Amino acid sequence: MGSRGGIRRERAAGSIVSQRTQARLKRIAVYVTALLVSVFVTVPVYVMVAIAIQAPSDVFAGGQVHLLPDGVTLRNFVVLVTETSSVRYFTNSLIVTASSTLLSTALAVAAGYGLTRFDFRGKTLAARAVLFSYMFSPIVLAIPLYVIFFTLGFLNSYFALTLALTAISAPFCIWLMWQYFQTVPIALEESAWVRGASRWRTVRDVVLPVARPGYISAAIFAFAVAWNDFTMARVVMSRDEMYTITVGASLFLDRVSIGWGETMAVSLLIAIPPFCIALFLQQYLLQGFSVGGLE
Amino acid sequence: MATPIHLEDVRKEFSTLGETHLAVDDLSLDVPAGSFATLVGPSGCGKTTTLRMLAGLEIPTAGRIRFGETDVTDLPPQERNAAMVFQSIALYPHMTVRDNIGYGLKVQGVPESERNERIDDAAGTLQITDQLAKMPGELSGGQQQRVALGSALVQDPDILLLDEPMSDLDAQLKAELRVEIQHLHAELDTTVVYVTHDQTEAMTMSDQVVLLREGRLAQADPPQTLFDRPASEYVARFIGTPSTNVLSCAVERGETEATIATGEFELSVPADALPSSIDESVRLGIRPQYLHPGGGEHRFEVTVEVVEPLGTESVIHGRTGDGTRVDVVTSETAGVAPNETVTVGFDREHAFVFDREGETVLFGAELATGDAREPYDRTESQSRSTL
Repeated sequence: MGSRGGIRRERAAGSIVSQRTQARLKRIAVYVTALLVSVFVTVPVYVMVAIAIQAPSDVFAGGQVHLLPDGVTLRNFVVLVTETSSVRYFTNSLIVTASSTLLSTALAVAAGYGLTRFDFRGKTLAARAVLFSYMFSPIVLAIPLYVIFFTLGFLNSYFALTLALTAISAPFCIWLMWQYFQTVPIALEESAWVRGASRWRTVRDVVLPVARPGYISAAIFAFAVAWNDFTMARVVMSRDEMYTITVGASLFLDRVSIGWGETMAVSLLIAIPPFCIALFLQQYLLQGFSVGGLE
Repeated sequence: MATPIHLEDVRKEFSTLGETHLAVDDLSLDVPAGSFATLVGPSGCGKTTTLRMLAGLEIPTAGRIRFGETDVTDLPPQERNAAMVFQSIALYPHMTVRDNIGYGLKVQGVPESERNERIDDAAGTLQITDQLAKMPGELSGGQQQRVALGSALVQDPDILLLDEPMSDLDAQLKAELRVEIQHLHAELDTTVVYVTHDQTEAMTMSDQVVLLREGRLAQADPPQTLFDRPASEYVARFIGTPSTNVLSCAVERGETEATIATGEFELSVPADALPSSIDESVRLGIRPQYLHPGGGEHRFEVTVEVVEPLGTESVIHGRTGDGTRVDVVTSETAGVAPNETVTVGFDREHAFVFDREGETVLFGAELATGDAREPYDRTESQSRSTL
């Protein structure tokens, strides 16, 4: 067989399988993968939505989970607002997510610019250390950070949680911006300097606009880390009024008065901000990550 | 206003990981106000480093740089009235062509109405008026290059620095822009320093060609002088295409005459024409354009390897008996085929004699006009040298 294959004239692309067959196989593989992914992602999301918008009595009517809603009700959301601290949790989440996203992105832009534009001793080591620290699981950092914040008296503050979340997201953001700035030609800046622009002015007029896809990706990443965080909020915040929505929602399951309907409703609310961001900024996300070699 | 440029013993070292690399080695140079000087040389010869020092993007390790009377050695790039066009063109991708060209003026605080006027002027000169509203990404390579030139000249700089601005363009566009840049230089009141590795660009555009070798000045002269009187074997080989042929020759000194010879030809020169430092051997340079199949005073045989037709002329690539490469540019290619032998010859006034270090010790042209010992047809030599 081997020798016959060798004698037979090779088809296009050096394979004995014709190119048309290859293309067909490739398409089938893509469809199957897409189908599997969508089953595992879409079905849970659908279940969540279906339960969230029906009254609990309708969902479990007749002893079976009722997944084809007959009508829509906001009852679960009303219960969330009136009987739980969901609004407070949500506000907490928004505050720490916004501050951590801002802090992490700012750090990443500054570090990325510095790492690519200035030479200093130990630069490669610093860059490697940053990437290495990204390998840690958040829980590894959580206990030492708890000790630090406890000692400093920062527990139960937005400030502490912002720092803790930034500690998780910043390494990857820095690495991303470091990669991104390597693709921004230094000649662009030099050309601005020769024309009389100061370094700061050049950063504002040239570097930041050109690096926009990069820092938007970094910001999206930092947002996702902070918004979805559970570990850090659980460790740093111990008072009910300081809980974020992820921690708060997890506690609903322990309460007798809150059922599946409300839990799914709060899950739906948690999912909305990331969904909007993915929807409106996906183009930037892809641009930024493709530079980081993460296409 | 155009400003003369003076470099005095400028030296630039780069240190990486404890190793020092000498990029520019005690370079002294004067570029007169309003002239067009080209820095040329192979990659790594220090030409771009020199240009970047003129722009202020690198600070010399030692030496002084003056623009006219002003010492600019330690001035940051922002404070020199120089404009630079980068090899990578460096247009801002997020600004329109108009904003790109006008950015320098905006930084300097020129009011918008005046800014627009000057942008329109520059765009008109460069024939890119239609492109002003576009983004750089929508332009072709040649148009982008024009925009980069526009951004440089809209500032009315004292000194215009161009760093291999045409290296990414195709041959036809290069030829077009070459003419354009010369036009601009004629119109503008500015001193131009142009960096290229392409000796054709250097020869066609400049008032002065500065040839560098490993950070040192090899020769700085007008193009024709560089071609006719190269200071060294390096210069002779770098300038002119194809490269100058160089043959190793033995020297026999007599009472009044010295003979430069290979096995095949002998060239007698007055004994005092060769410096006494020359003992047994020299290297003889002859440009391919001055070697003629079947003609010339001094002849030798060449085994043909490849013939490249160029339209009106052809380049014959071959080797002599001892394996030295020889190129011949000629229009007489009848009967010349690979692996055949042709006899080629040259006249003595077209020869350069280099010593062992590669310095030129004798120009054939001096022999022909000076001490004419042998009967010699001078009219023919003159008509040929004007070619």
